Amino acid sequence: MIRLENVTKIYGTETVAVRDASFDIPKSQFVFLVGPSGSGKSTLLRLINRQEQPERGDVWVAGQNINELPASRVPHLRRSMGNVFQDYKLLLNKTVFENVAFALEVIGKPRHVIARQVPIVLDLVGLADKQDRFPNQLSGGEQQRVSIARAFVNRPLIMLADEPTGNLDPNTSEGIMGLLDEINQTGTTVVMATHDHRVVNAMRRRVIQLDRGVIVRDQERGVYE
Amino acid sequence: MFSRIAYAFRETWESFRRNITLTAAAVLTSAVSLLLVGATFLIQRAFENLLVQWRGDVEMIIFVRSDASAEQIALVDSVLRASPTIIDVEKLRYLNKTESYEEAKRIFVGDPVTLSLLAPETIPTQFKVVPLSDDPTLVRSLSDQYRTLPGVEAVALAEDEFEVISTLSNFIRVVTLITSLVLLLVAVGLIWNTIHTAMFARRREIEVMKLVGATNWFIRVPFMLEGLLQGFIGGVVSCGGLWLLNSAWTNGVTGFKPGTGISSLVVPDSYLTSVMFILLAIGALVGAVGSAIAATRFLDV
Repeated sequence: MIRLENVTKIYGTETVAVRDASFDIPKSQFVFLVGPSGSGKSTLLRLINRQEQPERGDVWVAGQNINELPASRVPHLRRSMGNVFQDYKLLLNKTVFENVAFALEVIGKPRHVIARQVPIVLDLVGLADKQDRFPNQLSGGEQQRVSIARAFVNRPLIMLADEPTGNLDPNTSEGIMGLLDEINQTGTTVVMATHDHRVVNAMRRRVIQLDRGVIVRDQERGVYE
Repeated sequence: MFSRIAYAFRETWESFRRNITLTAAAVLTSAVSLLLVGATFLIQRAFENLLVQWRGDVEMIIFVRSDASAEQIALVDSVLRASPTIIDVEKLRYLNKTESYEEAKRIFVGDPVTLSLLAPETIPTQFKVVPLSDDPTLVRSLSDQYRTLPGVEAVALAEDEFEVISTLSNFIRVVTLITSLVLLLVAVGLIWNTIHTAMFARRREIEVMKLVGATNWFIRVPFMLEGLLQGFIGGVVSCGGLWLLNSAWTNGVTGFKPGTGISSLVVPDSYLTSVMFILLAIGALVGAVGSAIAATRFLDV
């Protein structure tokens, strides 16, 4: 589903964010990208959704070399991916329902599809009863659930999560991980960048470890170390 | 499709309300600059009325009495053609009664009293003469000679009547045109700035839109519509201003004594209408272009 071949990403002229990274993530896999801050985890995610392009190497998503994709096709690539962030990136002037609906609205889905899909996914994340609240009336964990609902409402092939539990306490994090696991069970490939030892050790999934831009470990059913 | 259009209009309106001060500034600037553009058109047309009989380098007009015989007209013609070194025979034109009357209708558009005294049957016909020589004394002595020919009513020289006005009109045209172009640029800049501000205010939304796969056009269109609307409203305001200006001028001109020439500085309503349409189009175009540049420039999230 996602394949990187000898990918190097340099910011400016000096800073090497990722050096010669290669890996292959099959469909429906759950993968952790781990490592300290600045080790290149976020850059890898940004290379996969083409917010960045590598200086060297190729990134393949669903059989397509996305670096050769013309800019006009990038929106369509992104429709096959959901993105979740540490800071949720919710729109504060929109309700829970509107935030999730927004993701469908801006890719031109008709109203009746929105009216059908949004409640289903809000039910999945356990927020069916809070759809008319605004983000700042919710707890951090609930806000992250809204953001996951928004990322998943279009049924993407891939879910990219950048430190989704970074702002949450252990109990809440557990709930979020359960939700991501559930989404993974539906066949969605999940790539999650984190430096949260507990969640990695509890889940026992594939772990790709980075250190200063270099992949130093790639292990099935790994722990954080 | 319908939901996309509805979305674009809703977003446009929201953004419009949010940035009301900047929007007002952009609208006013484009209105003022468009008003000047419109005024330039009208001034140009008004002077054209005044100069219509002198168009095409005509320096001398020989008016022939309306009761002149065909032989007398032929004589004037042959005398003119007898000096091919001084007169450009190629460009020599004779306007018969109908043609002269048509021209008079344009010259006296703001002076119905004088126009009513004229009729196609009684109007003098005219020879329009383009001299080859630049020497004013030569042309003048020639005109004295023609004045004595039978059937000739009068000879008019451009030098005496419209040289000053023609220079003045060129000057005014250049000044208003440059000023309006500068102001139009300012308007584009202001529209650009309001769109930039609007986009900055919504950068988070735009980021989310890009991440969930909205196309650039989808993101851009509401902003472009906003700019287009600002330019268009500026155009509407300028049309109102132009109409007021033109009415005041037309009314003012009727107070002048007939025959002073000022009365021909009036433009027909049909011309005013077409200028208004042009202003609306320029306004919309300027707004769309300014905002399109801004939207493209700031879309790299």
